[in-house]
Formats: sequence, structure tokens, C-alpha cells
Amino acid sequence: MFERGKKDNSDKGALDTIDKGSEQYFSDQKPTSNTQAPKTPDRTEAAVIGRSIRIDGDLRGEEDLRIEGDVNGTIQLRNNTLTIGSEGKISANVYAKSVTVDGSMQGDVFGSECVSVRKNAQVNGNITAPRVSLEDGAKFKGSIEMDPAAVEKALSSQPSATKNQKAVDANAKIASRSNIRLSTPDTATVKGEA
Amino acid sequence: MIARSVNLARIEQPEKFNAPLFRSLVENLPSRERWVVLDLGAARAQTISLFGQHNSRLDIADLADEVNELNALSDPQLARNVVEALLPKCKDEATDLVLCWDIMNYLERPALSAVMSRIAARGRNGTLVHALIFYSHTHMPTRPGCYVPQEDCSLLDVATHLDARPAPRYSPDDLTQCLADFSIERAMLLSNGMQEFLFRL
Repeated sequence: MFERGKKDNSDKGALDTIDKGSEQYFSDQKPTSNTQAPKTPDRTEAAVIGRSIRIDGDLRGEEDLRIEGDVNGTIQLRNNTLTIGSEGKISANVYAKSVTVDGSMQGDVFGSECVSVRKNAQVNGNITAPRVSLEDGAKFKGSIEMDPAAVEKALSSQPSATKNQKAVDANAKIASRSNIRLSTPDTATVKGEA
Repeated sequence: MIARSVNLARIEQPEKFNAPLFRSLVENLPSRERWVVLDLGAARAQTISLFGQHNSRLDIADLADEVNELNALSDPQLARNVVEALLPKCKDEATDLVLCWDIMNYLERPALSAVMSRIAARGRNGTLVHALIFYSHTHMPTRPGCYVPQEDCSLLDVATHLDARPAPRYSPDDLTQCLADFSIERAMLLSNGMQEFLFRL
């Protein structure tokens, strides 16, 4: 279920693409620099929610997370990166430092730094972030808010965790009485603390 | 047959063309502190980048897949509800600019009226609508194309479909009737056979 995995190099590439600024998107019809991103020697580990996992509820954490399964509810990784992988299906409002969407996403995305939508992604919802990139081919319906003042206002009003909220964090600490329902088919494996 | 050949060429080499009214819009973007832009077409990186530089909110409707559904609606009230559901939520902030790049050519008159009346309802006095209408050519691709703003304020026509169908070739009078809440501010015939319109609410 929650697996420890190496962060995909392609994700790093996506963020590098954003950092190059908007001029690239004017000069290149299709941003292709993902494959040209420099490899970083210190690859960051990211928690992974596997594709056979379904989570209903709130999900919070303090480390990077990659989702290949189904998540319905709310995702908060305020200081970290969230990657919705190509197999990921999200029906949730998402709050993170940076978000990369390569799968299917229904809900609002708040990124305090950036949001990147890959070419195979399908996003139905609103994006609020100071920097937003979208690869040609991506399907997107909704609003993109890039006004720094509006972004700051939206991010400052995001819901905060309360003592009564039950959550699954990226360390896979699963509260036995939480409102999280984990569907783990026979093929699913659970790694980490439970 | 000729139309098919033209489209094939466009697919192989996207056509860049000057759109003076669009250029004037882009040059005028710094005049406002904030823009709320509604794009009826598909999301493109360059469009996001362009308006991202001007403290904007960009609403993407991407109506291309809904054209047939909209054209099939005969009941005005139902059409109104469907259009409202297809457009991104207004969020209590009036739309300043609407990009109608190609989608108008694919909407039949009742559907076009329904869409534009809902857009007018979310606008304000002075809301602008920029539209590209097939004018000289008798045929157009079977599906709405994609137009990409370039750094020099020109537009790139990225045709994605080979097959052609007859173009409605809406006249200014047709458009005036369908866009009852808007008036034509300016219109220009472009080198690629399209007519560029700027409407004002």
C-alpha cells in the first residue's frame, strides 16, 4: 500500500520545466525538456500509494507523495510535493507546495509554489498557484488562478488540520478509528507503520 | 477535395497568421490590474503563460467536445441550463475577456445565441469577445481547431483534423443577431481567410 519509493526523475524534470519561465512556452510549441532535466545526485524519496489502493477521507503528510491509486476526500501536503501518477484517480481538493498531475483529477488544486499538468492528465477543477504549466494534450476544464494576491488569499484560507480530524499521513500511520477506509485487495501490500 | 488538401498542409505545418485585433488586446493587457479571461477552447500552455503574466484568472471551458450536444438542444431553458453547467463557475467576478477562437463556427444559431447570452450574463459593461470566423473558405475542419498565441502576438493555427465540412460563414448581421447583448467593435479580414471580430458587451 504505502510504499517507499524513489522519486521519479521525470517529476523533477517537470518542475525544472516550470522554473525556466514562460518564455520557453512561447518559443516551444511542445515543452519537451522533461527528458533533458539534469539528474540530481541526491534523489528524494517519496511515499507511494499503489494503484490497487483506495482511500476515502483526509490525507495529510510532511513528505513527498506519489499517488497511483484512488483517493477521495482532501489531500494536504503543505510543505511537500504531490505527484498524481498516470494511474492515479483523485476526487479531492489538494493542498501542497507543488503538484504534478499525470493522471485523473477531479477537484481543486492549491499549490503554494507551482502546479504542473502533464500531457496525459485529465483535470476537472480549479487550479490556484503562482506558477501553472500545462503540456499540450492535457485535458483541462476549470479555472486557473495565477494572480499572486488571489493565490495568497486562497492559500491562507485553506482548511487546517484539527484534533478531531482523522487522517492518513504520508508515513502511513493509519488510525484504527479514523474515517479512512482502505480497500486492500489480495494483491495489495502494506508497508510502514499501521 | 481542395479543402482536404488545405487541411492536410495545415496539419503538417501549422499556419501562423497575424490577428491585429488580438495584438491590440495583448498590448492593452497591462492597462488593467487584473483580468478574468474565459477561453471557450482547449487549454494551451501558451495561453496560460500569456495571461499568467498579467495577474489573470483564466477560465477554460473547452467546449469542443460539447458542440453536438449544444446544437441538439431545442428547448431554450434547457439550453441555458446546459450551457451554465458547461461553463466554469463565475465566482462573483465578472468576465473581462472571452476568447472564441473557432468555436462559434461550429455552433448553430440557437446554440450560439444560448452560449453567448450566458456569457453576457457573467460579463460586465465593456466585456470583450474576440472571435475568429471562417469567412472566405467554404469548408472548415470537422472539429474546432486550436489557436496558440505566439510571442509576437500572432496566432498559430494548429489544425488537428483532416476531414472538412461546410463552414457556416456567419456574416456580421448573423453574428449581431446571435450575440444580441453585444455590439461589433471592430472586424478585420485576415490573410488566412478568416474574419477577426471584437465584440463589446
